[in-house]
Amino acid sequence: MVKRIKKIIFKVYVVCLMTFTVWYGYFMYPLIFGFEGKEAAGLSLEKAVFSGSKEEKIFQQMAAEKVKERKKTDLGYRLIDQPYIQGRFHHIGFTLQQDKANICMRCHGNAPHTESKEIRAFLNMHSFYLACEACHSVPGDGEPPWQFRWYDKNTGKLSGNPRAILEIEDSYKQLQTNTENPVYGDYGLKISPVTTESGKASLLHNEKDMAMVEEYIAERDQLSADEKTERNNAIHRKMSESPVACKACHRGEEPYLPLADLGYPPTRLGELINSPIVAMLRKYDEFHMPDMMKPAQEREK
Amino acid sequence: MRSDGLIKLIILTVVMIMLYGQDTVVLAEDRIDCLICHKYRGLSRVDEQGNFRLFYINNDLFMNSPHRRNECYECHTDIKEIPHDKVDKVDCTQQCHIVEPSGDRYFSHKTIAETLAKSAHGKLDADGNPKPHQEDYPGCKDCHDQPLYRPLSAFKGEAKHGVSMRSISRCKSCHESGNFAKDFYEHVTSRLHKTRFSLEITEVCAKCHQDPEFMKRHELDDVITTYKHTFHGKMLEMGSERTADCIDCHVVEGENNHLIESKDVVTSSIHKDNVGRTCMASDCHTNASPNLAGFQTHVTYDREKYPLQFYMLVFFKALMALVMYFFLALIFFELMRRLFPKFAFFKDNTPHHFADLGEQDQQDKEDKS
Amino acid sequence: MSVKYDPIVYKDGVRYFHRFSIHQRIQHVVLFSSVLVLAITGFPLRHASEPWARPIYELVGGHQYAPMIHRIAGSVLLALFIYHTIYWMVLFYRNDIGKLRRENNLTLRNVGKAFLTQEMVPNKKDLRDVIHSWKYLLYFTNRPPRYDRMSWREKFDYFAPYWGIPVLGPAGVILWWHNEVSHAAPGIVMNAAYIMHTDEALLAILFIFFVHWYNVHYAPEKFPAARVWLTGYLSEAEMIHEHYNDYVKVMIEAGLENEIKPQHFGGEKYEW
Repeated sequence: MVKRIKKIIFKVYVVCLMTFTVWYGYFMYPLIFGFEGKEAAGLSLEKAVFSGSKEEKIFQQMAAEKVKERKKTDLGYRLIDQPYIQGRFHHIGFTLQQDKANICMRCHGNAPHTESKEIRAFLNMHSFYLACEACHSVPGDGEPPWQFRWYDKNTGKLSGNPRAILEIEDSYKQLQTNTENPVYGDYGLKISPVTTESGKASLLHNEKDMAMVEEYIAERDQLSADEKTERNNAIHRKMSESPVACKACHRGEEPYLPLADLGYPPTRLGELINSPIVAMLRKYDEFHMPDMMKPAQEREK
Repeated sequence: MRSDGLIKLIILTVVMIMLYGQDTVVLAEDRIDCLICHKYRGLSRVDEQGNFRLFYINNDLFMNSPHRRNECYECHTDIKEIPHDKVDKVDCTQQCHIVEPSGDRYFSHKTIAETLAKSAHGKLDADGNPKPHQEDYPGCKDCHDQPLYRPLSAFKGEAKHGVSMRSISRCKSCHESGNFAKDFYEHVTSRLHKTRFSLEITEVCAKCHQDPEFMKRHELDDVITTYKHTFHGKMLEMGSERTADCIDCHVVEGENNHLIESKDVVTSSIHKDNVGRTCMASDCHTNASPNLAGFQTHVTYDREKYPLQFYMLVFFKALMALVMYFFLALIFFELMRRLFPKFAFFKDNTPHHFADLGEQDQQDKEDKS
Repeated sequence: MSVKYDPIVYKDGVRYFHRFSIHQRIQHVVLFSSVLVLAITGFPLRHASEPWARPIYELVGGHQYAPMIHRIAGSVLLALFIYHTIYWMVLFYRNDIGKLRRENNLTLRNVGKAFLTQEMVPNKKDLRDVIHSWKYLLYFTNRPPRYDRMSWREKFDYFAPYWGIPVLGPAGVILWWHNEVSHAAPGIVMNAAYIMHTDEALLAILFIFFVHWYNVHYAPEKFPAARVWLTGYLSEAEMIHEHYNDYVKVMIEAGLENEIKPQHFGGEKYEW
């Protein structure tokens, strides 16, 4: 019996060694015949991925936003690892995290606002930590108000209030001169409306909607114009005509987003209501450029 | 719309003063004003060309750069009001308000642009005619992003931020006022070694010189890959800061770093009459002979260009492949032999004992005697 | 060399046959330790742009110390090469030329003949053994080749470094003293030395870590490690398996003619 087992172990070992020998032959091949051409292969691959027809403007947009390269700057005492954006002179110093969980981002990209010239950059700034649905989807008549929760940009899982948001309070206290700014906004999380079904909260757009979007993107080229519209309507069914106004949140009483519940500390809350930008915009809104705060679609009406 | 802008400005100023209270005097149009908006990380948009533009300014890193004494508007001169419209590209050759301390002229990068124009990277050839593929020739931003101070720290254990506060405190005993001591300390100590880590220099050059389309257009070899195959390139990858990068060899020692010239230009560091001196530059191969420059740095293993290297390579690769795959096969079959030890097509049934030496063993004996 | 070894010793009732003197074993230890150091301080540099290269290099001293360690180990290896060359020359002189001289047969022809019968020098039998072993491996015969004191594979194992060091060593020296060499030779010599050094080193590493380690580590009967490099003695079973002709010869010389065991066949006795 023992002899038999020994024999089996022996044979298994021999077969393993034979596999190892074959693997070594594969492994050796590039070593012997060189690594040359590896970089060139990578470059041409990138070119193939990022070139596209002009009609696919949306996709180009997304491609442009994809962080193609990283750039490392070694200062000796500190290594700055940041995304590389072509033509950018100033350093970024943090990681631009893509929102992989939100269904809107799949087509509209991470910086979706392009129309309203004066405020598009600010609106895009908001999409850094607000899901599209937070502003562009409001409860229908008779529906209860949305609940809002933070979710992880990578996994889409709901999460508690970010710790970093509480640290803002401390960083304000540590400021010594007026040239310093507390830096915030990089939580890796975003605020989204959630629906609660049988006690379990989930994002307004769940995995099913994401699957729908993926399917649409995959099949888009084969669809007729009518089919496209139909599918688009289905995907956008929860979106509302006009977005939530800026004022709805940037105000003292009962903001549309429950900012305090979402973890914003008092100083930051105060700034959200009274920041110079908000004040500036408010003035415009009231005296000068009433249209400025409105998104383009509404202005055209 | 000018009056519109003016009203905006007035409103803004009013708002500022209202918000910052009376004890903080806020001058309009200094960096704090700009950062009101530009401190937000997500401030961005996708422009008409489909490029992602981020408008965030990292003030922390900016304060670490030599430009920190400039206000935003001194470079972005077309911004006069907040909020502002699309901004023109910055012209680095314009004069700024800072007086160059060794003289009395205002500081400008114009001389550097002039040097660059004379170099291989200039847009005009020697006769003043535009070179083909104009858009391929670099401007400032193609090689430079915001420079950052990388000071040496004289005291061990005080390498935080690369600044030795103990060193600065010695400067400050005389140069008391303002940030003078810190600015000069960082400025000078950053120059005591390379301001950018050499590997980053090769990456900068690689942006164009390793782009296959670009190399084809200009009929250039892949100098980056071939550089990385040299000991210089390898030591850089290992983190050495004392190895020659692109600039060390391609700029004449002591010359402006922006004057990189083709090997056909007589003043070039790699012209055949000068290249020996370039290798023997101070801190490098000082005790070598100019022969050392005969070392072919950017070897591509091209049969026509570098026959010796090509054939040596072929010889060694053939030797390697022969030896290794022969033994690999041998070992593979030997292992297979062990799986079926008793099997053979032709069985040798003579008793296998020393006393019954087969025919072959007889022959062996004869060979030996 | 003055130490006399018993050709056969007994331990726990098993016969052990003498293979390597302590002198040779020490040379082997110096050889493999310097080669290991050379490999670990050299290979990351050969593949500097791979992500694993720098961490390993840092582990063995980084760009500051690793080159120095590499050069020291290289010098040791070169010294060993020279020492070993002198060593076998002395052995050859003592054993063979001395004998010829005593017999008054000292002619060039006889010296040449004596050289060719040295145990490490490849001969006609090796060529036949190569063919025989392939015949055996491809199942054309059930009789493994009977090797003498050194089989053709051991000779190859021996000549791999003995050819490799004279290629690698001088090339390494040229690269090391590049500034000084440049006074005597054109720069292209450095290119040649570079190719010689890197590619021959790769061959050496590939060979040692697979072929040689198979022979002494991975092979089922050796796993996890052969011990002959430590003890200098090979067991009877291994001796029969690997050096049957030599086994027979030693046994006859020791007067143990009646106890000679038959050659192993197709592994019937020689498994785990």
